[in-house]
Amino acid sequence: MPIVISLVDGLRRVIRAPVILVGAATLTLLLVVPLGLLLRGELQTALGDSVVADGMADGVVWDWWQQFSRQGTGLDRSLTPSVIGFAAVLANVSALLDGNGQEPVIVAVLLSYLLVWAFFSGGVLDRYARNRPTRSAGFFSACGLHGSRLLRLAIVAGLAYGFLFGVVHGWLFDDLYEAITRNLTVEREAFAVRVALYVVFGLVLIAVGLVFDYARVRAVVEDRRSMLGALLAGWRFVRRRPGVCAGLYLANGLVLLAVMAVYGLLAPDAGTTGLSMWLTFLTGQAYVVARLTAKLLFYAAEVAYFQSQLAHAGYVAAPAPVWPESPAAEALGRLG
Amino acid sequence: MCGAILLTPTSAAGQPRTAGADARSPRNANYSIDVRLDPDARILTGRAVLTWRNIAAVSSPDLRFHLYYNAWRNSRSTWMRERELGRGPGLTSRPETDWGWIDVTAVRLLGAGDAPPLDLTDRVRFVSPDDGNPDDRTVLAVPMPAPVAPGETVNVELEWISRVPRTFARTGAIGNFFFIAQWFPKIGVLEDDGWNCHQFHAGTEFFSDYGVYDVRISVPTGWIVGSTGAGGQLRNNADGTTTHRYVQEDVHDFAWTTSPDFLDLTERFEVAGLPAVQMRLLLQPEHSGQAGRHFTATAATLQAYGQWFGSYPYAQITIVDPAWQSGAGGMEYPTLFTTGTRWLAPPEVPQPEGVTIHEAGHQFWYGVVGNNEFEHAWLDEGLNTFATARVLEAEFTPNRIAQRYFGGFVPFVFRDMVWSRATDGNRLAGYRNAARADVQQTPTFRYWPGTAGAITYNKTALWLHTLERHLGWEPVREILSVFYRRWQFRHPKPEDFFAIANEVSGQDLSWYFDQVHGGTQIFDYAVQQVTTRPLRDRGFVDGDRRPVFRDPIDDRGLTRTTVTIRRQGDGIFPVEVLVVFDDGETVREQWDGREPWQLFTYERTAGAVRVEVDPDRVLLLDLDYANNSWTAAPRAGPAATKWMLRWMIWLQDLLLTYAFLV
Repeated sequence: MPIVISLVDGLRRVIRAPVILVGAATLTLLLVVPLGLLLRGELQTALGDSVVADGMADGVVWDWWQQFSRQGTGLDRSLTPSVIGFAAVLANVSALLDGNGQEPVIVAVLLSYLLVWAFFSGGVLDRYARNRPTRSAGFFSACGLHGSRLLRLAIVAGLAYGFLFGVVHGWLFDDLYEAITRNLTVEREAFAVRVALYVVFGLVLIAVGLVFDYARVRAVVEDRRSMLGALLAGWRFVRRRPGVCAGLYLANGLVLLAVMAVYGLLAPDAGTTGLSMWLTFLTGQAYVVARLTAKLLFYAAEVAYFQSQLAHAGYVAAPAPVWPESPAAEALGRLG
Repeated sequence: MCGAILLTPTSAAGQPRTAGADARSPRNANYSIDVRLDPDARILTGRAVLTWRNIAAVSSPDLRFHLYYNAWRNSRSTWMRERELGRGPGLTSRPETDWGWIDVTAVRLLGAGDAPPLDLTDRVRFVSPDDGNPDDRTVLAVPMPAPVAPGETVNVELEWISRVPRTFARTGAIGNFFFIAQWFPKIGVLEDDGWNCHQFHAGTEFFSDYGVYDVRISVPTGWIVGSTGAGGQLRNNADGTTTHRYVQEDVHDFAWTTSPDFLDLTERFEVAGLPAVQMRLLLQPEHSGQAGRHFTATAATLQAYGQWFGSYPYAQITIVDPAWQSGAGGMEYPTLFTTGTRWLAPPEVPQPEGVTIHEAGHQFWYGVVGNNEFEHAWLDEGLNTFATARVLEAEFTPNRIAQRYFGGFVPFVFRDMVWSRATDGNRLAGYRNAARADVQQTPTFRYWPGTAGAITYNKTALWLHTLERHLGWEPVREILSVFYRRWQFRHPKPEDFFAIANEVSGQDLSWYFDQVHGGTQIFDYAVQQVTTRPLRDRGFVDGDRRPVFRDPIDDRGLTRTTVTIRRQGDGIFPVEVLVVFDDGETVREQWDGREPWQLFTYERTAGAVRVEVDPDRVLLLDLDYANNSWTAAPRAGPAATKWMLRWMIWLQDLLLTYAFLV
């Protein structure tokens, strides 16, 4: 029951803070627009006055596309058929699980995005923890208050994930997978091994992610200064409630998978220009918003669960109400 | 000894004949082989009697044999060195169990009648005619006690032992799947200027004379054997093995496979006007649902090639679906080939059809027409790539492009990305990146290893398809058909093909072959500039008595359109230029394509709205087709916007996928 309660509670908190969702969606869009415009310029220049542009406008000219991608810069090379429809989702999940590299320019954008998320996550968690409007000033104050702390935590997380993707992933998928499958002669058996390793790696990622998630939650909700302390607190929290923490994570993951599955059904093919092009884009943006909702639901549900377990009056004494009050202190204040 | 008995021309009923009126080939390299496989130790023990007749015009003081397995004896072989040059050192790090080798343990010259054999074992030596590599052991020279004169026949007995490698170059083993090719000491080809017996190279394949093969293969009882030739004779041995006998006449190689896991299926190819062929498919159990696709593709090839070029001359063909990771897929041998597929193989994507058609097609180009693959690999690979794409287009369209994710296991089919014969089938993208890598007429084994395929396969398919579009399909079909009929069971050279092309087309096509075969010219025609302006010529024109000044000279409201076409490459090809005017009229111009640029000028009431050089895309070798056209209403903007929006969604999804970590 705590899983369902926390999930529903988290969903309510996300819905009650639509500005956060809109802001996240806007941020996710704005970050890619400049590069998109650069790519558009390169495409337009390459197509020029050619009739081939008709083919690329009405569908796909695969031969020209290969020529463009191979002659181009990093941005051009990232324009592969995987941008079409649901292939985008498959390609990106596959890239994450397979540890595939990206073009340097894409890596730069990605790192920027992660840093921005790390910074704003303080405000987001604060808003969900308070579960009441905090207005812009309150949101950004929380971002400012927690920003440097969460960035420090992000560095630690980066090191942890660097170890996972740089060492553990290589060990699992280069060494272990190779050792297990080297003499296999049946492809589906090798695929089963790979799926099993995906599950193992995914579980490790989830375990690490859970600890960092609750470290972030505790850093914000309990106004912790020490990120090492928050990390240990997050670890303790997960260790003492592994079933619910994992179950809640799984429930969130199922929501995310459902979003992807629905997009898989709706995602259009390459299509043409004109109205259909914009409808395709709007469909894609709706999917992005749904994915962001699912991501925010992770935050909100975990906050809700944490608050239901520890951040209540019986657990912490009321701190001195110095503005900005911590969500925990505020909750106690309301009781008093 | 046994070979000498088995292979006499007057042998008993049921025995192959090495000569006679029914011989389709010279049958000058005939083998009788007994071979035993120890699958646990991966050891082959073999004994062969070679009956070889010198059909060259010169005597030979020695015999030369290919020992291909020694390419993987160690990393000092020429094959391994070239492989590292082209693709990096990946293979050299393989464990000890992966390497293979072959040691000839005895060589004897068999005497006539009761004369005792003459042991030549101590005389043999390794030679490296191509690069002088002293560590390469892929060519064995056996000095003869006396030169073998033209027309003379010798019987040579060879014994050898070899270790089957983990697959290199599509021969080897994995688990209990064995694909055994290039496995016996195979005599080279003696030509009028000496032995043509190259070392094994990483980028090229094989060359040998035609003959009769009678091979007895002993494997564990219960294991299924597929092989070159017709089989059926089994003998169970006391040691738990079964000997399978396969015989085939008029072939230049012999390969076989064995595994206990094959599904053994047969179908019969029967099409009016073509000889019937028994098709045997040895299929991996996990691909049981794809049997029909293999049979259909093979039958389509036998029919199309048979009707286009000439019929398949053998009674049977064996299709081998190799085990996953065997590395044996996509390779041709006489009357047997390996295909290649995946566990998840969407029906909209031409795999396994593409590889099946290609390898089945090699029965014609390579099998029947036996060119030298060391030196002129394009003659079979290129012709066959061209024909493969043609069959795919004729029989298996529309089909789609797919990409694979999750370690390459999971395919995703792009429904609106349709495979094209002209560009995908002929592999234009690969050629574009290697267009100047090598002159095609360079001996293939001397190509840069990393780009040899693009020059051999892609470029030939492109220039043949260009020729088809230039001359028409029927003349090109006839060229290939005459080439097939005239050179079956023989060893043609490029000049033989070109001579037939000139003869059949009734044209001297050397201007074309000199460029595509004899040079590295690249082709690129482009619309450089198109202008349409009102006709505002002014100045003096002839009057009644003296020049009069007119402004404008012509007041009919005409416009002047100038079209400048430029040859940007150094390759020359006649091209057509299409000009479309805004009143709907079109003009087609012919240009021989020789000068660096060509100007076309039109004075009309209507201006040009579209110009295309080579509008029918005859010249498939044109490396940049995007610059072949100009339109007054370009859609580059909307197209770029469309793809930008697609790309942005992909990038947003990527960001969110990794944001899972924060």
